[in-house]
Amino acid sequence: MATKLKPVDVAVIGLGAAGGVAVLPLARAGLKVAGIEAGTWMDPHRDFHADEVYNNVRRLVSSSPKAQRECPTVRATPSDQARSAGVHPMMNAIGGTSIHYWAQSWRLKPWDFRTRSESIRRYGPGSIPAGSTLEDWPLTYDDLEPYYDIIEQEVGVSGKAGNIQGRIDSSGNVFEGPRQREYPMPPLRGAGFTDHMMDAARQLGWKPFRPPAAINSQTYRGRASCVFHGYCSAGGCHVGAKNSTATTTIPDAVRTKNLTIFDKAQVTRIIDDSNGRVTGVNYIRDRKEYFQPAKIVLLAGYTYENSRLLLLSKSKAYPNGLSNNHGQVGRHYFGHWTSNVSALFPYDLNVWYGLPAQGATVDEWADDSFDHAGLGFIGGASLHVYTERHPIDAAAMNTYGRAPLFGSAWKKFVHENAGRVASTYLQTNTFPYETTFLDLDTEVRDPLGDPVCRITSGGVRQNEQRALQHAQSKMEEWFRAAGAIEITKPPAIGPGISTHAAGGTRMGDNLETNVVDRWGFSHEAPNLGVLGASVMGSSGARNPTLTLQALAWRTAEYLVKNWKSLAG
Amino acid sequence: MIDRMNRKEKNPGEVSRRAVIQSAAFVPLAALLASAQPTPQAALSPAQMKTLVAFIDRLIPHDELGPGAVESGAQIYIDRVLAGPNANEKASFIQGLDALDALAQRVQGAPLAELSAEKRDQVLDAMIDTPFFNRARRLTLEGMFSDPYYGGNKNFAGWDLIRYPGPRPAVAAEDQALNVDVKPYRVSAYGIKYGH
Repeated sequence: MATKLKPVDVAVIGLGAAGGVAVLPLARAGLKVAGIEAGTWMDPHRDFHADEVYNNVRRLVSSSPKAQRECPTVRATPSDQARSAGVHPMMNAIGGTSIHYWAQSWRLKPWDFRTRSESIRRYGPGSIPAGSTLEDWPLTYDDLEPYYDIIEQEVGVSGKAGNIQGRIDSSGNVFEGPRQREYPMPPLRGAGFTDHMMDAARQLGWKPFRPPAAINSQTYRGRASCVFHGYCSAGGCHVGAKNSTATTTIPDAVRTKNLTIFDKAQVTRIIDDSNGRVTGVNYIRDRKEYFQPAKIVLLAGYTYENSRLLLLSKSKAYPNGLSNNHGQVGRHYFGHWTSNVSALFPYDLNVWYGLPAQGATVDEWADDSFDHAGLGFIGGASLHVYTERHPIDAAAMNTYGRAPLFGSAWKKFVHENAGRVASTYLQTNTFPYETTFLDLDTEVRDPLGDPVCRITSGGVRQNEQRALQHAQSKMEEWFRAAGAIEITKPPAIGPGISTHAAGGTRMGDNLETNVVDRWGFSHEAPNLGVLGASVMGSSGARNPTLTLQALAWRTAEYLVKNWKSLAG
Repeated sequence: MIDRMNRKEKNPGEVSRRAVIQSAAFVPLAALLASAQPTPQAALSPAQMKTLVAFIDRLIPHDELGPGAVESGAQIYIDRVLAGPNANEKASFIQGLDALDALAQRVQGAPLAELSAEKRDQVLDAMIDTPFFNRARRLTLEGMFSDPYYGGNKNFAGWDLIRYPGPRPAVAAEDQALNVDVKPYRVSAYGIKYGH
């Protein structure tokens, strides 16, 4: 029998990118918050290293053992056998995936919130991808703008505004929605290569810019600025310049004395009463089971775990899983379609140092920045080139048919060319589909005996595939303009498992098609909120973290303002 | 970043193997084979190590561009990871080495380590499309181009070969300029005792 703990006002499940920001407005408002996290504090001195084997080969920062034992399985269709996806960088740690992410901190575009109605208006009803369950978001960009601003300030984001209250500045992203003010820090400095790519984009008539990042470009609130040493990707920052929630909002919340962190605590079920209200959570810590009573529960795990925990939490009121009486938990899931185009140049790029967020980005071919009439798809992809190249990865380079794979001729080739390759990150507007969803696996279980999450990818999506191929051709054009002599374009194939996983507990006004309402609270269990990318209804052509953090803050603020009615 | 940890990987064979690689620079294959004997804790038997060394010596040979994989200690890295973090692929890797020797025997009439460089190259060409070639090449690259902390990349020979300037504690804007030669910074991320 679980040991019953002292009741709290709010139990937050998971102190990652989402839960880690939501605790701050709650704690500041004087609510007693229990932050229940399966991992614990990471120690920058002990755990973070400028080392490719440690970060990228063995993935010792980004592959928490517990999370790996809960790694989802993947299948294309329900008639296929689902197989374990192997590893995934979802985290058990205070700070979660924001410990090791690239820290690219984008706002979505106004169009992303109204994609369905805007596409129908501009291109007709036939433009909505067949089989898609895309809805307009229940809020607009303008509704979320104040919260984007809060996160940029509280977490700390470097960048250059392209649109302040309608005033356009072409040194920022001219395609972004209007912002109330400038970023709190200037953008990260450019590298020789990214500056060169900016010049090449301008020659094409495009408007490149330095992208926003939750990386300190200067000392910010007492935290150090980036040292550009080249081991940011999949690693933690040992100088504290990467603004994970572990170094920003969580310590701020702890200082209020209203947040108590229960670390190494694995939540197994969310508990509800006969009226369908949640009463708290069960968790296991050090092999003992506890029940943490709470007036409000905020579920803030990774996308896969949010759906899984709801589906596992069955009760009389919710026989098919918590908040799933309309069968929507796990639906409207999508893994972000992304791709790389790489290029070989005839001179040294010197991109060894830096970080993936030190880049040059082009937004001409994303979202609805261009006319899609006759193209056969909506959306597109952002084009992003960046620095940070590691020696093993560099030596393992494609030889482009110019050298054999071994011997002295190979040595000569890599001696000349290992430092002459550039990679890209193309992120495609990705939409939910009827046949792409999450549920519980019927065979694979975690060490506690609970089924892991199962992804049904639904296979190739023509809309996203065309959008990505279009973006790849634009990326090739950009590289050629910059002087590239070889280009490789991998096939545009949708993901099974994804590091940009979203949906499964979608936010929307219609309770027949959405799990949470426009504020992030369950349509069915009124004192249960859900935080994270799992509430997003479309991806945008960019990294999701800033958006899910803005949504999490907004949900927490709504809770504070409506405490009496929500807490009952 | 400098000299801040050596606690994450306790490896009982570490000291003796480091002594082994330090003795192995710029010497002929026969001597390399003699010096590349693994310690009793390692994954590979002496015969398997001999085959591995004969293989990676042709993957990345010593030539006018500098040391090859063997002098750099890539085999030490491979042996160590097969005994430790990559133990789950040890059996298949050893099967691959056995198959490699069998192939050498079949097409050239002797185990790989007994063949001339030219004949070994022909064996490599004959197996270039196999999963084992791909995997063994990958592990050799890991050994030669990883931080010397892991046992390979001795004297930073791998990083010199590809002109990687090394993990500086802090990088100035001029170190990121296009088309410049950055002065190498040759210190392990784990401190000078692992290579400098």
